[in-house]
Parts: sequence; structure tokens; C-alpha cells
Amino acid sequence: MRMVRLITSIVFLFSFTHLFAQQYLANNGEISFFSNAPMEDISAQNNKVNAVYDSDTKALVFQLKIIDFVFPNSFMQEHFNENYLESDIYPISTFTGKIISQDVDVTIVEGDLTIHGKTNKIKVEGILKQEKKAINVSAEFIVKLEDYDVKIPTIVMYKIAEEIEVKVNIELKERE
Amino acid sequence: MKKLMTFTLLVSSFFANAQDNLLNMLAGDDEPIYVSYLFKGTKVVNGQSVELPVKGVLQFNIQHRFGTLNSGLYNLYGLDFSQVRLSFDYGIKDWLAVGLGRSSSLKTIDANSKIKLKRQVKGGFPFTIVANSAVYLKQWQYSEAQKESYLLTNQLSYANQLLLARKINRDLTLQLSPTMVHYNLVEIKDEPNDKYAIGFGGRQKLTNRISVNAEYFYQLNDKRNNNVLSLGFDIQTGGHVFQLHLSNSPAMIDPEFITRTTGEWLKGDIYFGFNISRVFTLNK
Repeated sequence: MRMVRLITSIVFLFSFTHLFAQQYLANNGEISFFSNAPMEDISAQNNKVNAVYDSDTKALVFQLKIIDFVFPNSFMQEHFNENYLESDIYPISTFTGKIISQDVDVTIVEGDLTIHGKTNKIKVEGILKQEKKAINVSAEFIVKLEDYDVKIPTIVMYKIAEEIEVKVNIELKERE
Repeated sequence: MKKLMTFTLLVSSFFANAQDNLLNMLAGDDEPIYVSYLFKGTKVVNGQSVELPVKGVLQFNIQHRFGTLNSGLYNLYGLDFSQVRLSFDYGIKDWLAVGLGRSSSLKTIDANSKIKLKRQVKGGFPFTIVANSAVYLKQWQYSEAQKESYLLTNQLSYANQLLLARKINRDLTLQLSPTMVHYNLVEIKDEPNDKYAIGFGGRQKLTNRISVNAEYFYQLNDKRNNNVLSLGFDIQTGGHVFQLHLSNSPAMIDPEFITRTTGEWLKGDIYFGFNISRVFTLNK
């Protein structure tokens, strides 16, 4: 009987926390990248990033479509999709992580970043601002193309940097 | 005690899956994945492809056609003759583009609009469908306009097309282009004003930046002239597309090359030509 009570209380406690788990959502987050190259700077922006943050589990998830990255040059956009990121095979990029330390100035998030079908563990320092009914997430980090098997033809090696600067800026609204 | 452990496991497994659950939450409201980049250029060779300039992008095209390859060394195998068409295409929306062009030797101004009606979806709708509608105005000289029989509307012709394309795989795209050409005034009395043709086109990528293209228009109701067959290479660099091609028509406007082709491939009436297009982003 004691056992049953214990189990019931665990289940109860669990469902209780679940009930009050606060989730934050975004579907128009911004992720952009920039690469300084001798011939031509390469930059693109994605304004359709989906994101969820669970304040209870501290889990943070981003998801975007590669095809939604907009380049200033439409031919560059085609090459990005067709030849480098192969968005027909790998249409989606995701990040699933967890906040491991949270401070006023710096929040550290650790998790799996999947690009081009390859997953790597990354640790990113960013800022997480709690507002009334929303939280703001912003971060900057470096992605190495070779970590994600993004091949660069040798002819254009000079054109595309092997490291790319990624910026994240997302406002997640409290789930109703 | 066993029960408790099972529960603990169950609970902990939930926590372990918290991120995945969030991911599933996102995956639920996903849009279809559209198939893009069926062709490198907005034209297969001479005829329109299902590609449109991206919204806010102005595309400037320079098209050149030389004389026939069988015109002899005296004419440098056709390179002595050249005609040009200059044109602009602009993407108003991602699904709507307009164009304006002029052909030198035909003295014709043309305007067209392309509307993307439907897009191929990965694992869904099988085709990308575009409607292309164009109007052509043949220019005139002052002396011609003084004649009593002169009518501005007689200088007009039209082309309407439905372009159906499917990207079969990453390298191969095929296109079907049912076309209707209308002349307000035809050259001979018994020539029909409405001419129907069906176009077959395609591209096969050879490398990431080079593709080989082919195009054939089969005339359905009026066969006084030859059918046009064109072969080309698309070469893409950062901001340009170069298209090099061979065709039995030197014309660069649809009514002309679809219904008024006189050259024959087997006789060597083959015209060498190229298109260069450059894109400018005007509006983000």
C-alpha cells in the first residue's frame, strides 16, 4: 500500500509539473550566416526558423528549412541548395539542446546541431532574455563546413570560406 | 520495488525525450517540400522554361544568333552574320514575372508574363506548371504607316503556352510545352491565323555548373515550315548563365522559331548562338 501511494505521488507530481511546464514557441525566428571571402562575401538569412523552449526541462529546439535561406544573389542561392547543402536530400536542419548554465549575461547551451545530414555536438554561448510573455534568444557561433561534410569544389576554394559565422536571433512567445 | 523502478525508468525516459518531443511538436506543422531549380535558366534553349527570376531580381539577357554553319569560309561559317535580342525579365512575385525584349533583324518588340501556377512537391504533386503569355509587335517605317491598308493591329502576334515540367532526378528535368501562336495577319491567304504546336524540352546536368539542354517543337495543324530542334549547353558561374547552342532557326521569339523555321539540320542549316544573362537584385 505504501508502494502504491509512493507511485501515485510520483505520478501525480510528475503530471503536475508537466501541467505547469511553460513552453515558448516561435515560427519566424531569424538565423543568418556570413562568410568573409576574398572574392565575394557570402551571406544569407532565414526568417522562418521554428523554435521551442521548455522552461521546465530547459530544452531548446530549433528547426529550419535550408531552402528558406535567402541570398542577395539568386544564383548563389541555387548553388547553396543544389551543390553545397543538397537541400533536396537534406531539406531540414535542426538543433536540439539544453541549457546547461544560465546567467544574466551568458547562457550556455549544449546540444546536437544537424546540417547536411551530419550531426555534431556543439556548445554555444548566447543570451537568453526573459520578458513578460516571451523570451529572446540570441547567439553567435562558428560552423566549420568540413564538420558537416559540405564539399567545396577546388576551383572555387578561394570563394567560400571554410568557416561560417552564424547568428541566431529569435523571440519565442509563451504558448497559450 | 520493481514497479517503482519501472516508473522511474518511464519518467526518466520522458525527460530524456523532452527535446525530441519538442522537435516532434515542430515537425507536425510542416509545409510540403517544393522541388526547386528545374532548369538553370529561364529558357530551355529558345523557348521558355518553368523557371522565373526570383522576386525582386532583374535579369538582363543578351542573345546572339549567327548565320548558318554551312555558309562557307567566306562568311566565316556564319559568324559574319549576327542578330541580337536584348531583354529584361523581372520577378514581381515569386510566382509572377514580366519581360520585355527586342529582336534586331526581325524588328520586333515583345512583352511577356509568366505565372507559376503549381509547383512540384517532393512526394506530392508531380509537376511544376507555368503559364506563359506573350505579345509581339513588329515595328514599321514611316512610309509603311502612310499606306491606306496599314493597321497597327496587323503587326501583332501572340503566343500562349502552358509549361509542364518535372524534375525526374537531380540531374534530369523534362518539360512539355503545349503552345498556341496567333497571328493577326498571316502572309498567305490559306495560312491559318492560329497555329498549334507542342514543345518537348529537357536538361541533363553534366556537372554542378554545366548542363546539356534540348528542345523540339512539333507543329500540329500547319506544317508548311520545319519544326525547330535546338541543342544547347548551360554554363553557370557566380552571377551569370551562359547558354551556347545550335538550332535550325535563328529567331529568338516564339512565333518565329515555332512556326517559321526554314532551316534543315541535315542540310547543315544550323545556326550557332548564345545567351548571356546576368541577375541584379533590386529589391530584397
